[in-house]
Amino acid sequence: MNIWDRFVSSWREFRKDGYYDEFDYAWTMTIDLDRCTGCGACVTACQAENNIPIVGEEQLGRGREMQWIRIERYWEGEYPNARLKFIPMLCQQCDAAPCETVCPVTATYHNQDGLNAQVYNRCIGTRSCAVYCPYTVRYFNYNDHRWDAPLEQQLNPDVTVREKGVMEKCTFCVQRIRQAKDQAKDDGRRRVRDGEVQPACVQTCPSEALVFGDRKDASNRVSKSMNDARAYRVLGELNTQPSVIYLKKVDADAD
Amino acid sequence: MANVDRREFLRLVGAGGVGAGAGFMLAESIKHPVEYLIPYPVPPEEFSPGIATWYNSVCGMCPAGCGISVRTREGRAKKIEGNPLHPVNQGKLCALGHAGLQVLYNPDRLTGPMIQNGERGADEFVKTTWEDGLSRTADRLAAARQDGIYFLTQGVRGHLANLFELFMGELSSDRLLHYDFAHPHALYAANKRLFGEHQLPYYDIRNTRYLLSFGADYLTNWLSPVHHSLGFGHSRHGNDGVRGRFVQIEPRMSISGAAADEWIPARPGTEGFLALSVAHRIVADGHYEGDDAGEWRKALSAWSPGRAASLTGVSEATISRLAREFARADPALAIGGGAAANHTNGVDNLVAVSALNYLVGNIGKPGGVVFNPEPVTGASAIDRQANYRTMQKLVEDARDGKIDVLIVNNTNPAFSLPLASGFREAMAAIPTIVSLSSFIDETTLMADVLLPSHTYLEGWADDMPEPGVGFPVGAISQPVVAPLYNSRSTGDIVLDLSGKLGFNEAIPWTSMEDVLKDGWRRIYERGAPEPGDFDSFWRDVLVSGVWGENVRRGDSVTIAPGAIEGMAVSEPRLAGESGDYPFILHPYLSSSMYDGRGANLPWMQELPDPMTSIVYGTWVEMNPVTAKEMGLTDGDLVTVTSGTGSIEAPVVVFPAIMPDVVAMPIGQGHDALGRYARNRGANPIEILAPETDSASGNLATSATRVALAPTGRRATLVKTGGESRQLGRGIVQSTGSRSSRGHSAKLNSIPIVVEVAESAVVESA
Repeated sequence: MNIWDRFVSSWREFRKDGYYDEFDYAWTMTIDLDRCTGCGACVTACQAENNIPIVGEEQLGRGREMQWIRIERYWEGEYPNARLKFIPMLCQQCDAAPCETVCPVTATYHNQDGLNAQVYNRCIGTRSCAVYCPYTVRYFNYNDHRWDAPLEQQLNPDVTVREKGVMEKCTFCVQRIRQAKDQAKDDGRRRVRDGEVQPACVQTCPSEALVFGDRKDASNRVSKSMNDARAYRVLGELNTQPSVIYLKKVDADAD
Repeated sequence: MANVDRREFLRLVGAGGVGAGAGFMLAESIKHPVEYLIPYPVPPEEFSPGIATWYNSVCGMCPAGCGISVRTREGRAKKIEGNPLHPVNQGKLCALGHAGLQVLYNPDRLTGPMIQNGERGADEFVKTTWEDGLSRTADRLAAARQDGIYFLTQGVRGHLANLFELFMGELSSDRLLHYDFAHPHALYAANKRLFGEHQLPYYDIRNTRYLLSFGADYLTNWLSPVHHSLGFGHSRHGNDGVRGRFVQIEPRMSISGAAADEWIPARPGTEGFLALSVAHRIVADGHYEGDDAGEWRKALSAWSPGRAASLTGVSEATISRLAREFARADPALAIGGGAAANHTNGVDNLVAVSALNYLVGNIGKPGGVVFNPEPVTGASAIDRQANYRTMQKLVEDARDGKIDVLIVNNTNPAFSLPLASGFREAMAAIPTIVSLSSFIDETTLMADVLLPSHTYLEGWADDMPEPGVGFPVGAISQPVVAPLYNSRSTGDIVLDLSGKLGFNEAIPWTSMEDVLKDGWRRIYERGAPEPGDFDSFWRDVLVSGVWGENVRRGDSVTIAPGAIEGMAVSEPRLAGESGDYPFILHPYLSSSMYDGRGANLPWMQELPDPMTSIVYGTWVEMNPVTAKEMGLTDGDLVTVTSGTGSIEAPVVVFPAIMPDVVAMPIGQGHDALGRYARNRGANPIEILAPETDSASGNLATSATRVALAPTGRRATLVKTGGESRQLGRGIVQSTGSRSSRGHSAKLNSIPIVVEVAESAVVESA
């Protein structure tokens, strides 16, 4: 099979209707913007959990930050009616992910749980995926990052440390998902229970703005949360079908 | 290796792993022959590589006293999460709490006792032994005059606070000072004046329907931010469809201001006038019907909204509307902090704010102000909190040669007092300075003997959160990892010194763990327990990480006599003439570095400031119109000059700040504290005028006028954020309050909730 035929066949396979319904899980996160205070606890929790390097002031100044989840902020209006709105932005784990189709080496692909996964040791660093991502949530290792000893003792042994030339991004804390699935298997259960697995950001959110779970089961908290009238997807018009659903901020003084 | 097949290889690796584990265990047992760490949820029978062990403890990053669960693997701490059982934070944790790991594993930590070998401040410390360091200290302490010893500690509570009391009592010195830059002195004084209360009450944000915050950034740094965030989230969408309303009154929009439904700028220091006029309307409109309504009417008669409007800059109509909304919401809650508290009239302001709570009858009610019972132990620490006036006394005593020995424990007044306080020079006049801090910060740099404490993740202590949550809560801070270095628990250092000084009768313990066990035995006995069952109680407290009692105070708190007639707010006093210094400086606690203690943590340096997305630096926030008038834009370096000093920082145009106010974050500008903190940004505390609130002795940090002068140079603002406006992209969407109700099952017309086949959800029992 030549490369074109292979591309066409995989396109047909992965884009056929109902493809994602066949998976075991459909991990989903909802983010209630009316609860989010922009405090940044999720950002640091993610750095601690996922061995995200400290890049330093110089590299940050060149736009090479590494934060799988970040707080974007947008001003509206002018003084004295200025308002500031926060939105946590992380990999949207799109079901129709633009990044997946452009990787020349299939380093990024859709896994059995509907997650947009990244194979670090397959990545050759073309950065095409980052270009195609409308949410700019893919982060490239421009350098080999070091931890001043003994800071490296904190590194999470369940998560790899990435090296120079590799693209990385939010995984929905796949190591925690794997652990929960293993636990379910060990306990003789078919499925992971609701609330059994929480990514680091969801676990720590002080105002409980983030909810995570499997949307395949309608009784799960996340399924109920995403049925809220306020639910929307960021840049929904692109039809990337994100697994991260936002709940609109409420303007108390509007109808 | 040629003949080793895969199976053999794995076997060898496995054996090596066990060997390494056994070696680790051996090392552990040598270091600590008698200590047992009790993990959560099950104690390990033996060391199991690859399996995480969780220990519950107490966060030591700020005074809120959150419970933490620390995940350890192979004897190393990997992650800190909130303890779900602790009523303060209920499993949640802020960014600074997570960064506690970088305190533990900080490359710039002190690795053992040291002595100064050169000029003070030259950073020429040489290693010594504990025996030598302790003997030197004990000799100086023994030779000191009566009241010639000052013990300056960070705010501590529980049995460590008691131990410090005993120790200083034996040294016959009354100079035990707990010093925290951000301690809410004004709030304590206000509660004392209005309610005659010694402790802070619990502000029930969770159950309130209307929160009127006068400057209190309750989501970031005011009292217990994680607890308040939980309450905020719940009040938004947790109360059966009734969404709480939050109003924030402050000169510069804080994170709490951004989260609020309404942000109202008011001149710094005039918040009390605003509160009084809101109270005036509540009483005048007949919303208050208490027996003392006449008294209130008389006391508030002068405070018509019209008068307050001219003083505060908030319109008369807004004040009347706030009063109406506040009186009608049930329950409503008013809190005060920030610029309102840290002004020359801070106590007056907060008394006026608290009076609002009384007038709407929320005292002792859910969603209102709930007074706390006496803390289980360590209550004396509240009176030991050192305000600016006390610190000035210390400076004077040092200058007059009255201080022989100064002991400093993990507090950094050399950084967090204005230059005008003279603290740095005064330190030079103290013959002996001993530091128990874990890092060489600005204060420790001037010390002669360094006896480094464990970090909070390595040593024993306990904590009774203050303010509490309405009922008695306590938690034990237990070691979660073996100590990394040759440091000792703060309590143990004090006990060692006591031993050397022969205080064995009054201080009979040999370790902090014993102190705690003795103290907790008394707590255990409060509950009329089964005799002889203390060990299982102790174990339970360690495993769950928290202890509590179902004791609440009745709502018997009343207004202190004379408080109503005395209800008045004095004019705020500003240092500097408006002609020379046109701007009011509004310094605020950084959300990531608190009072500067987070500056040596790389995670906190790289955590973008939520409001500006700036990392690694200090900046000056200016109103867009003012900036334009002065021809300044983002990144223009300006000199900020007050009557007592000047610093340089780049301008950031900030859309939500009053035109005559400039704001700067506190936290950077260190000249010590290690590689991540040093020589970065500027410290606005340096240039604050030494203005105080006479009613509380608190430093009025919002009462300094400054002038801004462009330097003509530009600085690079390192920011992570891009465009600060949405430009019609609809990234953050909002909806009206009415249309937010109801349900929708479809997004983008694609059904995304899929029913699971019956077979898939069957669980084996």
